[in-house]
Amino acid sequence: MIKKKNISDKTINVACACISIGAFLFLWYWGTAFTKLGMLIPGPVEVLETVTAGFFGKVGRHSILVHVGYSMIRVMIGFIVGSVFGIVLGLLMGWYRIAEAIFNPLFRIIRPIPPIAWIPISIIWFGLGENAKIFLIFLASFSNTTLNSMAGAKNVDREVVNAAKMLGANERQIFTTIVLPASVPSIFAGLQVAISSSWATVLAAEMVRSSEGLGWMIVAGMNNNDMLQILSGIVMIGVVGFILAIIMRKAEDILCRWNKSGN
Amino acid sequence: MDMKKQKNVFYLCISVISVAAVIALWYFLINVMHLKSETVFPGPLKVFYTFLQKLQTKAPDGATLQAHLWASIKVAVLGYGLGALVGVPLGIAMAWNKWVDRFVRPLFDLIRPIPGLAWIPMFILLFGIGITSKALVIFLGSLIACVVNSYTGIRQTKETHLWVGDVFGATSGQKLFRIAIPTALPMIFTGLRVALGTAWTALVAAELLASTKGLGYMIQQARAISRPDIIIVGMLAIGAVGAVFDAVLHLVEIKVAKGMNAK
Repeated sequence: MIKKKNISDKTINVACACISIGAFLFLWYWGTAFTKLGMLIPGPVEVLETVTAGFFGKVGRHSILVHVGYSMIRVMIGFIVGSVFGIVLGLLMGWYRIAEAIFNPLFRIIRPIPPIAWIPISIIWFGLGENAKIFLIFLASFSNTTLNSMAGAKNVDREVVNAAKMLGANERQIFTTIVLPASVPSIFAGLQVAISSSWATVLAAEMVRSSEGLGWMIVAGMNNNDMLQILSGIVMIGVVGFILAIIMRKAEDILCRWNKSGN
Repeated sequence: MDMKKQKNVFYLCISVISVAAVIALWYFLINVMHLKSETVFPGPLKVFYTFLQKLQTKAPDGATLQAHLWASIKVAVLGYGLGALVGVPLGIAMAWNKWVDRFVRPLFDLIRPIPGLAWIPMFILLFGIGITSKALVIFLGSLIACVVNSYTGIRQTKETHLWVGDVFGATSGQKLFRIAIPTALPMIFTGLRVALGTAWTALVAAELLASTKGLGYMIQQARAISRPDIIIVGMLAIGAVGAVFDAVLHLVEIKVAKGMNAK
């Protein structure tokens, strides 16, 4: 009986989703095909055609897939380096009071500056190449992971630590076997924020200065007054952002399986 | 107790020393060792002088620091205010009413993975580089954060509390305003603070790309003429404003959501 109700609930959800997305697409199509809006914005069919054409043909110098690849490689390098640094620093600051006293004031001066505001200075320091972009993504993932790892290490259950101490665990054992695993859910929350922030940052960096990548694609569309290229770029940005979020969530599901409340 | 106080003073001293040491190191490397030319990496004194100068002179980017600051804040507050005004009620409605959820959420999920600043090129083409396009970008960015967090907040309402309301004959409106929304307030405020961060970031990105005033414009112009001292002043101003906004919102949160895990 209960099972049957669940299934019908799900069908209603799917049906409603189809109706609302269908209505949106129809409005978009109708608005661009039959009103003056069509002069400004291309319709959904054209955008879809441009995206598929971009997969096989070329947008600028590369196909869309190559642009996605460029953006992804930049994000991955900066994200991995940034989050490793961030997790280490965050755990140290959260667990050792002395590390917090030394690094936290510096961190709190740097943190409110959005990574995007570093774009001009990073171009002066590192030039127009890859290093500047990787530095920016490093910053974007670094500050988010630091903050969350620190919170994670601070919220470790004191009773567990005391129990370990009573059983004769030394400082290093407490840190690696209690603090580190207990902070994992919080670290993952930080990584989730970090990956979406890195994704936004790479787009901004590519928009300001680049000759490839999805950020370049939309800004080149702006400069050539090519709305089709912008919209197909936005579609791809959404798709990649979605995939990145899913990957992070799956990784969290696997690594934090023991943590029942961590979903 | 006294021991604890003494320890806190000790750690505070370390914090002060650490910040002072970094500034001293900065001065030493740049002004004494001349490791980098001041046209690439200006020393702390030069940054400070530039800051004082920028408060009075309009050169080289056409406006004083205050004028840029005011221009940025105006746009940020406009876009952010609209985003919060629409986003919080929308999130609450989606979480409270099944049908709103069923129809609106699919559409919302469609735009959610797209970072706000990816819309910049499209809005600039449609609305020019004035206040409209920037406010719209900020609106979208803050809308998403507000909706997501208000939604989660309302969903956290304990069913038992609602049953208590039912037992005492509360109407649906009373249950929403007396039980669900107060429960959700801390999450709603989290959303408002996240949204503020994204709003400020998106604004800087928009000003970097196309603008005629604002802090982002100022640092972008300074890059073009190789004045890293102005860039650093601008970055610190951007960070400071972000921190002040966040602190103000935190104060409001403490006032409004008294004691509800407002840290």
